[in-house]
Amino acid sequence: MKLNNEEINRYSRHLTLPEVGMAGQLDLKESSVLMIGAGGLGSPLGMYLGAVGVGKIGLVDFDVVDHTNLHRQIAHTTSDEGRPKVESLRDTILAGNPNIEVEIHNIRLERDNVLELFKQYDIIADGSDNFETRYLINDAAYFSKKPLVSAAIFRFQGQITIFSPEAGGPCYRCLYSEPPPASLVPN
Amino acid sequence: MLPGVVGLIQATEVIKLILDRGAPLIGRLLLYDAMKMNFKEVRVRKDPECVLCGDNPSVTELIDYESFCDVPLPGAEVPEEIDEAAYELSPQEFKAAMDQDPSAVLVDVRESFEWDICKIDGAQLLPLSSFEPATSGLDQEDSIYLYCYKGKRSMLALKELKKAGFKKLKNLSGGIDLWAEEVDSDMPQY
Repeated sequence: MKLNNEEINRYSRHLTLPEVGMAGQLDLKESSVLMIGAGGLGSPLGMYLGAVGVGKIGLVDFDVVDHTNLHRQIAHTTSDEGRPKVESLRDTILAGNPNIEVEIHNIRLERDNVLELFKQYDIIADGSDNFETRYLINDAAYFSKKPLVSAAIFRFQGQITIFSPEAGGPCYRCLYSEPPPASLVPN
Repeated sequence: MLPGVVGLIQATEVIKLILDRGAPLIGRLLLYDAMKMNFKEVRVRKDPECVLCGDNPSVTELIDYESFCDVPLPGAEVPEEIDEAAYELSPQEFKAAMDQDPSAVLVDVRESFEWDICKIDGAQLLPLSSFEPATSGLDQEDSIYLYCYKGKRSMLALKELKKAGFKKLKNLSGGIDLWAEEVDSDMPQY
């Protein structure tokens, strides 16, 4: 795999960083990331992963853009209201960098589709907003032996970590062995 | 703005994994507090007892996550089963019934921050979080018209009132959200 001249120019400030360089930029181009959630976390995550040149980005979300999303889900604009979030985010990412591939999965992640999906990507990035999906993603990432970069927000606080039992770290269940009572879960 | 900060840290960690550079957040949980504007780091370890990645795993395939997460609050009373439909009124029905009912008392069981966004004229605020029929000041002789945001919390309050002996109870189906759509177009939705 090689970079074309436009890409060399686009990524030139990366190429001159010894920590990235041509080899690193090609690693990015050859990599694939599956993002779960195309909302508040998914917007900046997808826009930056695309801009820096991650070769293949998968987007999973089954929601549509709502007026109340716009104040924080910055990949979606007022004219995107009513569109599937994966389509709106894909368009924003590709507008920023047309050299990459964005695959959209306008589906709810389920027990019977998650493993097939995870197989097609190197890294899983979880920005989902409910406990069912978090446990599902954690278990599926573990069975698929894929590192899981996990982020969660609540009110004014955020948490970020990487779950990678393969690399000696914990999984989500090591931290949260039981889900909280359903009646205490904010929606 | 919080998701922007957190999503970008997530993006940074993804890129570091791909480049195999720097110290990844494996075994470290990073906590960000926007109000205090601080970051804290907590060491997190693999649990040898973990049912998934521990030494003797019991979860060896994907499970039913919906029922796994449907955990009741310890000691919580299961709300009484009643014929909910018998108490539900559509926004138009709710308004019409209230308008011709001299003993109508309108009760909003949302929290105060929701009350500050919008409310139905003539309502009194009795948040469900501290709702007690005995101390509510409500009179069993009155007809109690209940509403919340979508109609679920007010049904819980209705069940408590019914248990306490109240007979004349009505619930606004779809809550103030549907009311804003069908009765009062000037009311904001949130």
